[in-house]
Amino acid sequence: MNNLGWGLQISALGMGLVFCLLALLWGLLTLVIKLDAPPAAAPEPEAAAETATALDPALVAAITVAVLAHGTQRRAEAAPQMRIHWPGSLLHASRWVAAGRTRQNHSWQRGRH
Amino acid sequence: MEDPPNVPGASAQLETLRDLRARSLEGGGARRIEQQHARGRLTARERLAALLDAGSFQELGALATHDVRDFGLADQRFPGDGVVTGFGKVNGRRIAVFAHDFTVLGGSFSEVQSRKITRIQHLALESGIPLIGLNDSGGARIQEGVRSLAAYGEVFVRNVMASGVIPQISLILGPCAGGAVYSPALTDFVIMAQGASMFLTGPDVVKAVTGEAVSADDLGGAGVHASRSGVAHLDAPNDAAAIELAKRLLGYLPQNNAEDPPPIQPYDPADRADEALDTLIPAVENQTYDMREVVERVFDRGSFLELQPHYAANALTGFARLDGHAIGIVANQPAHMAGALDIDASDKISRFIRICDAYNIPVVTFVDCPGFLPGVDQEYRGVIRHGAKIIYAYCEATVPKISIVTRKAMGGAYVAMSSKQMRTDLAFAWPTAQIAVMGAEPAVRVLYRNEVKDAPDPKAKERELVDYYRDKFFNPYRAADVGQIDEVIEPRETRWRLVRALELLRTKVLQNPPKKHGLIPT
Repeated sequence: MNNLGWGLQISALGMGLVFCLLALLWGLLTLVIKLDAPPAAAPEPEAAAETATALDPALVAAITVAVLAHGTQRRAEAAPQMRIHWPGSLLHASRWVAAGRTRQNHSWQRGRH
Repeated sequence: MEDPPNVPGASAQLETLRDLRARSLEGGGARRIEQQHARGRLTARERLAALLDAGSFQELGALATHDVRDFGLADQRFPGDGVVTGFGKVNGRRIAVFAHDFTVLGGSFSEVQSRKITRIQHLALESGIPLIGLNDSGGARIQEGVRSLAAYGEVFVRNVMASGVIPQISLILGPCAGGAVYSPALTDFVIMAQGASMFLTGPDVVKAVTGEAVSADDLGGAGVHASRSGVAHLDAPNDAAAIELAKRLLGYLPQNNAEDPPPIQPYDPADRADEALDTLIPAVENQTYDMREVVERVFDRGSFLELQPHYAANALTGFARLDGHAIGIVANQPAHMAGALDIDASDKISRFIRICDAYNIPVVTFVDCPGFLPGVDQEYRGVIRHGAKIIYAYCEATVPKISIVTRKAMGGAYVAMSSKQMRTDLAFAWPTAQIAVMGAEPAVRVLYRNEVKDAPDPKAKERELVDYYRDKFFNPYRAADVGQIDEVIEPRETRWRLVRALELLRTKVLQNPPKKHGLIPT
């Protein structure tokens, strides 16, 4: 019976020690996370609204027109961003057409036997 | 470790190279560059920077110089010798390019220049990539004598060998005189900037020989070649605008004759039906309309690039996109001379069709033509052989061909303008089409001469017969009856009809009989 009491005491002490250390570790981690977190940006809806309204509508219109004009120009020049595939890409070539073009472009050559 | 005696160290060798390169970049020097800018023109290297993608230029022959000692040229040796040549990229596409440097001996054409240009011509042809030439040269280098003339010939022969194989675009950005004009003339497209000039003999020679006093601009300026001679396909207010046009033009062309032009992502709905087309043709027969509007409404928005807009304005030629694919457009222009065909229009149309055929660009033809322009002047100047060029070009072309008769298609002009017999793949007509051998009044005078003469009221009888003729022939349905028109379509349907037709014909392959070359009427 004495052994049983002694065993329970030791178990309670061991478990208590482990849980204490775990709690200490938890507290430590929480502290580190709090210290390491970036400073929270204070929401400033009014300031943001002010910035947005501060943009000159004429400037916004000019930027919009410039962006559209740039896109139109890139499209007109068949720029890479607008192209479906690379010029001469074999991935999109039709074998029928490729063979036909070969015949068309060599029709004048004398046969070699 | 010390360098061996009499051999410069590596650092000294690099210094020499860097010094030569720096001199090459300077061209003719700061003063000449200032003069070039004062004329409102860019230098060769500034033009190349505007044309090519940043950092893509690889120069060849930057250090080449002439070895002529006569006429004081020994003291005028500049690395590069007045032309910058090499390879670069335009919108990611490889191209070969040369640019005359006017700041070096007026860009005068020398044997060294020829060697540099023919070198890139050769490499461009072997690699199957377009060649762009930025011309700004005072002409042949007189001090080199016949060597300079032979040098031109070397360039010409390579222009011809590359013709129809790789696209060749010439920009005229300064003077281009004498033999120098033939190289651009042998290329596929000529773009001129205002202030530039092209002529075989300059104003001084013209004055001495013929007594005519004329300025360089009036003799061979951009305005003259874009409107009267037809030498220039496009003109621009300055160098930068001309270069932008070249980049746009290149967007419609393939790298070579074995490839297709680059398609772009479709941005205009293929099935867009434009109801304004239904009412675009005026109800009154003699009223005109602008065929450009038809083209603008049918093809992808804002994609139409008209070529030679001021030359032979009775015909319309240019490139556009349909569902993202490059298309060549030929049309009569009823707003000018009622769309009648004449010598200049025939030349313009036939040349354009052959360009499209060479570079695998489908041709769509809009027909509204009352016929060939009658007149003594036209007949004397050979409208027959010039008109025959259109027939030749259509018959010879193996690319997809589609025609749409919007209104008049009369007589020989109907046959010539992409009729089914010209190996046109699909022929459409709008309900407003009038397909007949000739106009109603002349037809009645031929067919019913006696009936009209013997009638109690000849004028009333003539009117009655004209109305009868109109009812019978001035519609597309008789042509559709006999299969000369595949389908009569509503104007608003034109866009999606064309999209689907060209989708079908995208893999069309046709082979002409073997021959060295045909003999197109000239």
